[in-house]
Amino acid sequence: MEGWIIHRPTALPLVIAAGLLLGAAAPSAPPRGAARPAPRRPAPAFEPLVTPMDEIGVRGGRFVYAVMNDAKTFNPIMSNETSSSDVNGRLYASLTDYDNARQESAPRLAKSWEVSRDGWTWTWHLRRGARFSDGHPLTAEDVLFSFAVAYDSTLHQSIYDQLTFDGKKVEISAPDSYTVVTRLPRPLARELVVPKLSALRILPKHVLEPLWRAGRFASAYGVGTPPESLVTSGAWRLERFAPHEMTVLGRNPWWFGVDARGQRLPYLDQLVYLVVPDDNAAVLRFENGEVDALSDVKPEDYATFARGETRGAYTLRDLGAALTSNFFWFDLNRERKGGGKREVGEPCAGAVKYAWFANRDFRRAVSMAIDRDAIIRSVFFGEGVKNWSLMTPGYRLFHAPAVSGPDYDPAGARRLLARLGFRDRDGDHVLEDADGHPVRFTLKTNSSTARMQMANFVRDDLAKVGIACTVSVIDYTVMINNMREDFDYDAILAGLTGAVPPDPGMAGNFYRSGAISHFWNIRQPKPETRAEARLDSLFDALLEPRSLAERRRISAEMDRIIVDQCWVIWLPTMKVKLPVRNRFGNLHPTIVPQRLLWNIETVFVRPTGRR
Amino acid sequence: MMRTYVLRRLLQLVPLLLALTALTFLLLRLAPGDYLSSVASNPDVSDATLDAMRHRFGLDRSWLVQLGLYLRNVLFHLDFGESFSLHRPVFAVLRGALLNTLLLALAGALVTWGLAIPLGAWAAARHDTPVDRALSFVAFLGLSVPEVLSGLLLLMLAARTGWFPAGGMRSIDWDLLGPGAKALDLLRHLVLPALVVGLVPLASRMRQMRASLLDVLGQEYVTTARAMGLPERSVILRHGMRNALNPLITLFGYTLGSLLSGSLVAEVIFAWPGLGRVTYEALLSRDLYLVVGSVLMAAVVLVLGNLVADLLLAAADPRIRDG
Repeated sequence: MEGWIIHRPTALPLVIAAGLLLGAAAPSAPPRGAARPAPRRPAPAFEPLVTPMDEIGVRGGRFVYAVMNDAKTFNPIMSNETSSSDVNGRLYASLTDYDNARQESAPRLAKSWEVSRDGWTWTWHLRRGARFSDGHPLTAEDVLFSFAVAYDSTLHQSIYDQLTFDGKKVEISAPDSYTVVTRLPRPLARELVVPKLSALRILPKHVLEPLWRAGRFASAYGVGTPPESLVTSGAWRLERFAPHEMTVLGRNPWWFGVDARGQRLPYLDQLVYLVVPDDNAAVLRFENGEVDALSDVKPEDYATFARGETRGAYTLRDLGAALTSNFFWFDLNRERKGGGKREVGEPCAGAVKYAWFANRDFRRAVSMAIDRDAIIRSVFFGEGVKNWSLMTPGYRLFHAPAVSGPDYDPAGARRLLARLGFRDRDGDHVLEDADGHPVRFTLKTNSSTARMQMANFVRDDLAKVGIACTVSVIDYTVMINNMREDFDYDAILAGLTGAVPPDPGMAGNFYRSGAISHFWNIRQPKPETRAEARLDSLFDALLEPRSLAERRRISAEMDRIIVDQCWVIWLPTMKVKLPVRNRFGNLHPTIVPQRLLWNIETVFVRPTGRR
Repeated sequence: MMRTYVLRRLLQLVPLLLALTALTFLLLRLAPGDYLSSVASNPDVSDATLDAMRHRFGLDRSWLVQLGLYLRNVLFHLDFGESFSLHRPVFAVLRGALLNTLLLALAGALVTWGLAIPLGAWAAARHDTPVDRALSFVAFLGLSVPEVLSGLLLLMLAARTGWFPAGGMRSIDWDLLGPGAKALDLLRHLVLPALVVGLVPLASRMRQMRASLLDVLGQEYVTTARAMGLPERSVILRHGMRNALNPLITLFGYTLGSLLSGSLVAEVIFAWPGLGRVTYEALLSRDLYLVVGSVLMAAVVLVLGNLVADLLLAAADPRIRDG
């Protein structure tokens, strides 16, 4: 539970459509190793997905990936957490894929798509000849079925919210077996529509519809399902599942992806998710070759990994700044419900502290007290960058390098505080406000090493300007409860992390004044400040279909407002480095999740590679 | 008489389990947050969805009502509920993990007792000599090194030398192995975690064995045996050991009771798929029925272990059996 996910629709590998190369690169069907012959039906022409890649690979081998937890379900509709959705992203195809390296959408089951002039209707052209892992044809029927299940309100899963827009569903129809038409409740930016609708994983109607009708869908395709009976639409199928040990995926022989020579993908015979709950153990197992890749390495270990490159036959790749931003904010929430210990309208942090926190200059002074370079040096071992927005430098399209906020200037911070009437009247090195209240507050954070260290730096830096800050480390669920329900805090240090697509339009819960992650003052019935009203209208504009250049400009404008208001005090962001074994071809980790597996279909074992 | 005794002990389980269930429900309710807090940390999930899920899982009701419904299902339908996150019956989830933990714990107990008895006896036979002191020193070293450290050190040894697998319970190619190779594979994976689990209580068990044997060796019948000219070896093995082991049998029985609780650290470090990890994860994610299920299971094992301890003692000591 390191970061929190702003959202997570899809993360599938890079593929570019074969377009109209009808059968040009089609391998002879049925493919090698097919489980059983396809049902006799008029076979549609096969339109494979010719996947671009650096190197044409060879088949065979296995890739072992260390994970902290295993999947909780193989039912992509019912999964609620990343350890399940990561595996399900390999097992089930979606309409489109996300190219993590370019940070843009790419064809998958849909070979192409277009939007109507008015921006409401999107038409998806499905690939002919696509099949499930049991050889059954995959058509628009299956897409409709998957939407119907995702929209089943009795199941109540997070996918429901991912596929609705302001609470409204998408209307779906299928004029023929290879065309799906979706009508959105509102016109929306292209960069958002395509990945958002691809959050939906395509399920086999011929297997699951009877279970769904019988009301047994929620427990269908659970982890107890015999692997051979799990029918998948993605590049992989389940070979073995041992709870808390490993998940072994094998090649789906019917998968529609091919390389430029017409060879069926994936190249690898097996993709193994090995459960290693302990970080240190994972590193040891990477070093001795049992594990081929790690999804996370701590910055303090970068130097050690860099030294072991030759001996371990791997390369430490620099992925740049993480998508995770770190920040803290002050509690500006007011009691809305009443009935508890506070009157309706009473500031949750108490009147005295609220008066400080609500003052922009106070927040600016706090921001100016913090020595971010020191945090980068100590907490991130030099492997970090300053960051002033949710759109960290890792957001290729939306990072605005020109935006920056009040940075380290302790003298300036002291001047600002003095101007507010804060003075150390009793010589205890802690300022008192004009009414004589000592300026003390508690900064809460959860027990993540980097966050605790950052909080300690904040405390020490604030002490230098005369603000007494106490760090309190609490349980993650308690912290969520504090920030959402009881507002029992002064300030909280946390972070947000992005997923696919890395787009500010996915972070409405942070930017919008009425939203639940508008941390400093959540769920405002209507924007309480003019700056927040402006932010709301900018965010609406950001969602509309516009050119990318315009959307970037709007995003930068939003960043500027937040920095100017100092509603959140930004802290540095970590740079990510990952060791990657040299014996694998086409293995290109990206900062966008899934960092290593997004293009695993094209990854292969180099024949000359030594083990 | 023995049968009524066993029956009575088993009947005592019922109120105990009821009280434990109620307490677990209450404690989980008193802790802030519930299973949906982790779902709620994904800001993409709307309040309406959360409320609907809360209702579906019954988390919108008071803990007493939840407890009542749970007990009704357990008592009348033998239904221990479903895990929220896995959508599977609780005991289907716990069964496999329980067996894995029992295997690890028993192997650990084998290490403990297999070393403690001979080493303790040796120390007693050579008491107050350098051998005795060296053994004590090693034992206390083992006692004072934290499990996490010894685990990681052993793991490092395995990773560097390749003598043992660096964690896990089975190889990736397990399915392709023959029955003999499977057993061997499992054994190779079991050695290091069993050592970590077994070394912790070694020192105290060794000292107990030493004390117990020293005690016996001071008895008059041992002096008599010696006076009769029996060789020292035979005095210790035939007369001393048999009587010195009695108190240790009780201790061994009580170890059975705590089998499930001693291996969490080893399970995490060695990626052993045991009950400790399942319970710990369930607790972190507030997976209510899964937590209650594992608490009940641990309680049953504890009570049964203690019962076995008493029965073992009775079997070993005629005075108790017939008294």
